[in-house]
Amino acid sequence: MSVAATPASRPATQARLIKVGILLLLMIAVPPLLDQRYLTSVLISVLMFGVLGAIYDFMLGYAGLSNFGFAGFIAVGAYASALGNLHYGISPWLGLLVGGLLCAAVGLVTGVITLRLRGLYLALMTWFIGETIRLTISNTPNYTRGMLGLTVAPFPNIAGIDFSRGNDLAYYYLLLVLGGLIMIAMHLLVRSRVGLAFKAIREDQLATESLGLNATLYKLLNFVVASFFIGVIGAYYAHYLGILSPTPEEFGVPRTVEVLTVAYVGGRGTLWGSLFAGLLLIGFQEYFRGLGPWRLVLFGVLLIAVILFAPKGLAGLKKYVW
Amino acid sequence: MDVALLLNPGIGIGLALQGLVRGAMYALMGVGLSLIFGILGVVNFAHGELFMIGAYVVVLVSVYLGLPFIVGVACAGIVLFLFGALLERGLITPLRRRAGRDWLMDSFVLTIGLMVILQNLAQILFGGEHRGVTDIISGALSIGPVTLSYDRVLILGVAILVALALWLFIKTTSLGKAIRATAQAPEAAQTLGIDIGRMYAVAFGIGAALAGIAGALLISIYTAYPTVGMEPVLKSFAVVILGGLGNIPGAIVAGLLLGLVEAFSGFLASSGWQNVITALLVVLILIFRPAGLFVLRGARP
Repeated sequence: MSVAATPASRPATQARLIKVGILLLLMIAVPPLLDQRYLTSVLISVLMFGVLGAIYDFMLGYAGLSNFGFAGFIAVGAYASALGNLHYGISPWLGLLVGGLLCAAVGLVTGVITLRLRGLYLALMTWFIGETIRLTISNTPNYTRGMLGLTVAPFPNIAGIDFSRGNDLAYYYLLLVLGGLIMIAMHLLVRSRVGLAFKAIREDQLATESLGLNATLYKLLNFVVASFFIGVIGAYYAHYLGILSPTPEEFGVPRTVEVLTVAYVGGRGTLWGSLFAGLLLIGFQEYFRGLGPWRLVLFGVLLIAVILFAPKGLAGLKKYVW
Repeated sequence: MDVALLLNPGIGIGLALQGLVRGAMYALMGVGLSLIFGILGVVNFAHGELFMIGAYVVVLVSVYLGLPFIVGVACAGIVLFLFGALLERGLITPLRRRAGRDWLMDSFVLTIGLMVILQNLAQILFGGEHRGVTDIISGALSIGPVTLSYDRVLILGVAILVALALWLFIKTTSLGKAIRATAQAPEAAQTLGIDIGRMYAVAFGIGAALAGIAGALLISIYTAYPTVGMEPVLKSFAVVILGGLGNIPGAIVAGLLLGLVEAFSGFLASSGWQNVITALLVVLILIFRPAGLFVLRGARP
């Protein structure tokens, strides 16, 4: 464990910092150099799925929690910000926070109810809650426009930056900042003493509790923090996309499965692996756009292959590649 | 929308019967799911896709080949039994060899992958259009003020027969006893010479066959299309949570109960809210009685 910077670990830390620096530089510099609107929109998808996958991993890989209503939680953040803007005139910038907080509140209620139960019940319960959220949205067309689709305003310009819908580059950088902050926050959390508690609970809850740690409280903390991040990304998604409808593909099980696959392929308990999995999976699916339903067949096959043959996911390959 | 209408025996009893027909299907699905969980410890998320395959089999056999409906249902049962056994051997057994602590979650996610694959393969093979039979036997049975179409009488009848046959099989045959022994104590069963690998395959096959039969029987209500399984799977999970995971009699009672609740709530609220009501019911059960409504005396934890 990374307890103290022993002489042996310092060069390793420096090497990691250099790697992260290079990657970050690439992510900042490449899109404007390419200057292609289509590619920028693909990169936005890649980054979004990468960060969502990492949030899933933050729950699954570190505390052993599985949110199977993940897409419904994204919908909470998305609709909170969109409806807040539409009905109450809340600025989308504030909406990022509103979406996050509302989603965290849903996470808190869900967590309080389920986290005393075994992991499987959490998965099933969150699934039902996610579906309830989605169906409630589609059943209240007077307020949410339901399946008719809700038109969402773009972010207003800020500090002279043009956030009109056509300017994908601005949206890309905004996501880079949001996603970067979320990744750093999660990274610091799992490195801290709290993160050690998460891992201990995942490894052996009974032993952890016998050491005097309140396992349920730590799990709740993990779940609520993760929900907050999901909500923020959801709110961003609403204003980026411009139109929301509660279809299963958008906010139902298929979307959850996509995020889940990114997290599994990235490697559970790696956090950063999901970003690479996002690049691989989403980049791949954009490249083979004509694939149609084969795309999801491939997702399923990959998911099963990872579980059966490569439980560490892409992270298992890391030592060969970099 | 008027509660007073329920006092009218024609409407009240009619709704109850409709609810029982639905409930019989939920019970079949739930029993299959519970059997697979109770014996293999696998939460089968692809259960709805087994339902979907059953629906396609009956369309193929009874519509395109023109064979009697009941032959189509039987074919669905046989095809799904073989398919289920094959899945167990091909995917679940290899996972069991290597999975340890994360078995429950890993096997769950594996069946999620399977769900996605089967849904989209169906989309590729058959396209998105709905294929079905409007009615299997026309006409309706009417006793006094109550009428029930012959289709639904048939569904109810076959569901009861299948449940009885399963019960007899598990209780009386030696294979059934071997399966029960495997569920109770796999190691002990193995020392007594029971091939537990085979029992796992048979149990998964039976569970799959029940889902397939449900899918075939309900073809006049749910037509065959790639994602038709999404609603039944939600319902069958609701049933096993209500009845208690792995509790087979509990699944039957919970299935019928859920069917009744839905029939009456569908009458009182608009149909879009029905699934919300079901989901809320499950959430409430998970809050107040996470072990299910019926905790059997002496049941395994």
